[in-house]
Amino acid sequence: MRPLEFLRLSWRSIRGHKLRSSLTTLGVIIGVAAVIAFVTLGASLQAGIIGDISPDDQRNLYGWAAEPDAEGGPLAGAQPVFSQHDLEELSDREDVEAAYGYATIQTQAISNGDEQVPQGDGLIAAGPSYIREDDLREGRQFEMNESEAVINPAAAEQFEENVTVGDELTLTILGGQQTTVTVVGITDTSEGLSPFEGFETAPRVYVPTDPFYAEQAAGLGFGGDGGDQARYLAIVVEAESADDRAVERARESATSYLQSEQSDASDLLGDDLEVRLQTSTELLQQLQDVLDLLQNFIVGIAAISLLVGSIGIANIMLVSVTERTREIGIMKAVGAQNRDVLGLFLSEAVILGTVGAIFGTAVGLLAGYLGAWYIDLPLVYPYEYVALAIVVGVVVGILSGLYPAWRAARTDPIDALRYE
Amino acid sequence: MKTGETAVELIDVRKTYRVGEPVHALDGVSLEVPRGSYTAIMGPSGSGKSTLMNLVGCLDTPTEGEVVVGGREVGSLGDRERTRLRGTEVGFVFQTFNLMPRLNAVENVALPQLFQGVGRAERRERARKLLERVGLADREEHLPNELSGGQRQRVALARALVNDPAIVLADEPSGNLDTDTEAEILDLFDEFHEGGTTMLVVTHERHVAERADRIVHLLDGKIERIEELDGGSTTDESGTEAST
Repeated sequence: MRPLEFLRLSWRSIRGHKLRSSLTTLGVIIGVAAVIAFVTLGASLQAGIIGDISPDDQRNLYGWAAEPDAEGGPLAGAQPVFSQHDLEELSDREDVEAAYGYATIQTQAISNGDEQVPQGDGLIAAGPSYIREDDLREGRQFEMNESEAVINPAAAEQFEENVTVGDELTLTILGGQQTTVTVVGITDTSEGLSPFEGFETAPRVYVPTDPFYAEQAAGLGFGGDGGDQARYLAIVVEAESADDRAVERARESATSYLQSEQSDASDLLGDDLEVRLQTSTELLQQLQDVLDLLQNFIVGIAAISLLVGSIGIANIMLVSVTERTREIGIMKAVGAQNRDVLGLFLSEAVILGTVGAIFGTAVGLLAGYLGAWYIDLPLVYPYEYVALAIVVGVVVGILSGLYPAWRAARTDPIDALRYE
Repeated sequence: MKTGETAVELIDVRKTYRVGEPVHALDGVSLEVPRGSYTAIMGPSGSGKSTLMNLVGCLDTPTEGEVVVGGREVGSLGDRERTRLRGTEVGFVFQTFNLMPRLNAVENVALPQLFQGVGRAERRERARKLLERVGLADREEHLPNELSGGQRQRVALARALVNDPAIVLADEPSGNLDTDTEAEILDLFDEFHEGGTTMLVVTHERHVAERADRIVHLLDGKIERIEELDGGSTTDESGTEAST
């Protein structure tokens, strides 16, 4: 008997019990849909985050000092230990292209002429190269020691009249102090530029650490009376290239300096704090690990659902075998071999499993699509998982159908024909 | 039609069931069924009719002795070969019709050929021809539950004949039919018998048995006597009323 004939006959039996068959496949549908939906979301989330790391970002090392066992994302447990002097020393070192501080400054509002919008955070002080050339839609990077700013499109568009290069903005720092900056550039994205900022879309204004952070730090009493005494929570160390070895050299060089007696940071590091310098990829790896863990958890639940689903198929197949004992007898009487009967029932289970997987995949992709759309992620369809889901459907069908089909195949035709 | 003298032969066949005490369902039965013959088997319950049917139908193997169907000894065959022999050399007609409920008439008739690996188009063609011969040309696409009892038994007969078997085994073929329909089916049996088909009918009704050339009377697992009927299947319709 040919495979196609098996499928045709089996499909007939399945259609003969529409409701029962639908309910049976539901277990597989739910399991597969859950996997596909979460894998799609995971892949989209990953693409949304990894996609934000430009190749140029790969040369940056993001550093902070924290207790060795501090856990969490970037800046978890960070303490302000890095001085301006440290950064200058770092910049002068071989293997290090540049080093600068990074800080967010609390603000109250931003004004463009007469129009004022409230903004609590989003004023970011960093070095000029923090804004990479290819991140700029127009204008240029800000320069150190100047009252200049680069803003992102979200910040530019929050005023009735869009802010353009050359406009002046008045920043009201928390505490009421006001300062005026000239917009010299606008970035091409409203998402964060580094793991320090996070990757969500928000209005952001980028300014040089000096004078802005220096003044702010002085105001808050971070570092004494002068700008030179300001200490940074976070620093960015640029390697000479994005090459892995160059990045590694920069990391070693920076770490050895910061932990040596020469650095200001070492005074504060003591025994409790250690310096961490990590690339975006490494930082994201932590996020990735959390995502993976979550995904594995969900896949685990889905696997249980699939197990329940296959038990459902096995159960209904056993009922079906008993119910159709007489039919099995007829088929055997008219010349069906054991393998024919086995094949018929097995293909029935495989159809149930596969149809379940196909529907589950469709539902899962739709759910993933809606989810990605809802949280505004680039949609990435994990096609290899779609293929895998179908394979899983077939395997679930085979595993759950094997025993019932074997029972059917070894039914004695004499008993079966007598069966009422 | 198959060539050769004998369609089925039983040589000193014993069938013993062991359910606690051994029970001899058949105890030394020898019977020759020539090709083209029409044999009826009669006997009370427990006489061994069903066991005989199962043996001739290659559903079972004898404890002792030989059962030869279509020239092959059933006891010496493995399960697969026996199934194959059953599929090609035996056609079954049951009291309860035993059609596949979800297959239509053509598909039911074509079913035995499906298991012989015959292609779909060829199967359907052959099935259609047979349905036409049993007078169901206009019922091809009907499901069994859309057919009357007589029509179902016609489908079953067509199915029994589809592989051109050495013998058609009918087990109480008219047991579930009213008198008129019974006559129609038995007429159809006569018709195929005249066409050369070997018929073996198990029944406990005299007037059904009388359609045959001879009646084999079974009692307690043995052949009590063989009654030759002259005229055999040519007995006219009124003959079914009179007994003996």
